[in-house]
Amino acid sequence: MDRNFEEEIVLSGIPAAPGITFGEAFVVYADEMPISSEPIDPSKVKGEIERFEAALNRTREELADLHRALAAEMGEEHAKILDSHIMMLGDELMKEETLETVRNENVNAAYAFSRIIDRTLKAFDKMEDQYLRERSEDIRDVRKRVIRNYFGQKSEGLADIKRKAIIVAHNLTPSDTVGFKKKFVLGFVSDTGGSTSHAAIIARSLGIPAVVGLGDFSSRVRPFDRLIVDGLSGQVILHPKPETEELYRKARDRFHEMEKELLKIKDYPAVTLDGRTIELSGNIETADEVQEVIDHGARGIGLFRTEYFFITRGTLPGEEEQYRYYQNVIRRMAPDPVLFRTLDVGGDKLAAWVEDNVEANPFMGWRGIRFTLSRKDILRTQLRAMYRAAAHGRARIMFPMVSIVDEVRQALAICAEVREDLKRERYQFGEKVEIGIMIETPSAVAMADTLAREVDFFSIGSNDLIQYALAVDRGNSRISYLYNPLHPAILRLIDDTVRAAHKNNIWVGICGEMVADARVRGALLLIGLGLDEFSANAYLIPEIKKIIRSITYDETRALVKKALKKSTASEVAALLNAFIEDKRPELMEFIPRGPV
Amino acid sequence: MVTGKVTVENRNGIHLRLSGELVKVASRFKSVVMIGRESELVNAKSMLGVAGLGAEFGAELLLSADGADEKEAFDAMVDLFRNKFFVEE
Repeated sequence: MDRNFEEEIVLSGIPAAPGITFGEAFVVYADEMPISSEPIDPSKVKGEIERFEAALNRTREELADLHRALAAEMGEEHAKILDSHIMMLGDELMKEETLETVRNENVNAAYAFSRIIDRTLKAFDKMEDQYLRERSEDIRDVRKRVIRNYFGQKSEGLADIKRKAIIVAHNLTPSDTVGFKKKFVLGFVSDTGGSTSHAAIIARSLGIPAVVGLGDFSSRVRPFDRLIVDGLSGQVILHPKPETEELYRKARDRFHEMEKELLKIKDYPAVTLDGRTIELSGNIETADEVQEVIDHGARGIGLFRTEYFFITRGTLPGEEEQYRYYQNVIRRMAPDPVLFRTLDVGGDKLAAWVEDNVEANPFMGWRGIRFTLSRKDILRTQLRAMYRAAAHGRARIMFPMVSIVDEVRQALAICAEVREDLKRERYQFGEKVEIGIMIETPSAVAMADTLAREVDFFSIGSNDLIQYALAVDRGNSRISYLYNPLHPAILRLIDDTVRAAHKNNIWVGICGEMVADARVRGALLLIGLGLDEFSANAYLIPEIKKIIRSITYDETRALVKKALKKSTASEVAALLNAFIEDKRPELMEFIPRGPV
Repeated sequence: MVTGKVTVENRNGIHLRLSGELVKVASRFKSVVMIGRESELVNAKSMLGVAGLGAEFGAELLLSADGADEKEAFDAMVDLFRNKFFVEE
């Protein structure tokens, strides 16, 4: 069938890195080689042994290269994943047993090796501990590499890529995404993952578009199929029609123009036309992302999601290790502030080391401050590391998922104890660390005036607040239409929070994806609602700054006053659209959108 | 030959990284070091063998060392378990 006549298919996923790209698919297959169990001629045994040893050596070199590349590109922390793989390869007993099987049974080495690994994998399958059991993935990974090298095939992964293409994969792991030639990669598309998955972070740092969470897309695409990836709206178009190509080409040109314009104002302050300054900072998950935040003109880190450091390790990091990690970020951002969020595990980001982690309803379960207050050992260690790191610059600490005042009082008492301990132990630590809480439950909004008297600042976590307030799981496609940041209910909750904060003379920021979700409309509302600080993914910062610098605080306030009286999200959207079209048509230009 | 018992005191059990640590320690000695549950002892110098034990928090393991430096090897292994593999959790 002629590909030109194949039907255009449009799929929606999660936008993970901005931009629009066109190209042919490079599909990364996860299949394993078929291995023959047929006996070999005894004269070939010697050759088999040499071939197997060569495969081990080649794999060892490959992993060492990968380790270096991963460390250089993503930081040492990411490279640690490979240490265990290298150790497994060095298992002399495994090697001896493989060679013995080849000698005694006259089978090929790939088969002998596979059988030995299978036995280990069977042992893994029987393990009761879920975390230990899932480590079998690492063993499978090593087996795949060795077998591939035994067959003399070079990496079937991205390192193979020799033409410009859009990478399509079921799942992109860190070891997939290193060692490839960046200049050939036009974009990423994957079936799994969210906006904070490895593939998404790498794509953003390389500045190439990515869409993730596309379901079974990789099995529907064949190599060389024509694709358009719109990392702004999260759409991927398979076999696009010429008209569609044309629309997207225009959208891409608009986006490039806009990017250029935006970077011009990178070093300007985020201040409205009538002089209201808004603190603009970046969200990060790992220390490796600090440069990206600085490059986009942010003045601080407004959300450091510390759980990533914990989750990727498999064991709890100790105080010294955390201290070194945090102080590195603080030093690089100084004199601008770094806002640490204490460990926020549970719900969507369960850490493997949390015992008994199966909950019927994790989003309403043991997570955030509820978890850390019940594991005070973990909380204390983390707070000690943060306070000590704060001696090297400016730190802020915030607690997630607060639903009642008692939690805040307990947390503050622990902070005070930690400071006392550090003083007694004669450590250097930050004495003036602001302590705040996230506002992400409706009960915290209801109690905001009381909570504001306890802490130094609020930061609104819009994703969770929207989810809890509208009782909607945005991942459930039947009801995800309810997840709308422009809903008047959400605006009222934010308005109440800001009023309570300002009445008690504390500042209030927002660190969720509201701006990413609603773009210019979300930004206008948040400015008008009186938020003092915005923290967003680095790539959004120039855009938000442009919007702030284009309007007056007064007019956004007037806009918000009207919006708060609307009954539905679509009425709010219409109000904002009319405002932008009438009063600030130039902002339309600056807002990246698909061609819709 | 020296034999005895050790208990896994690390909360996450002996996962891959700790298996690596265990293999490193055992490999420092000439003696044959074996570890595991009663029914299945594995060579403590084998990464695959040790990882395949799936020794979870609280698991009791048999330990044996046989060879010229068996005493030192045994003590070093016991030390490793007692000190939770020298990692903070």
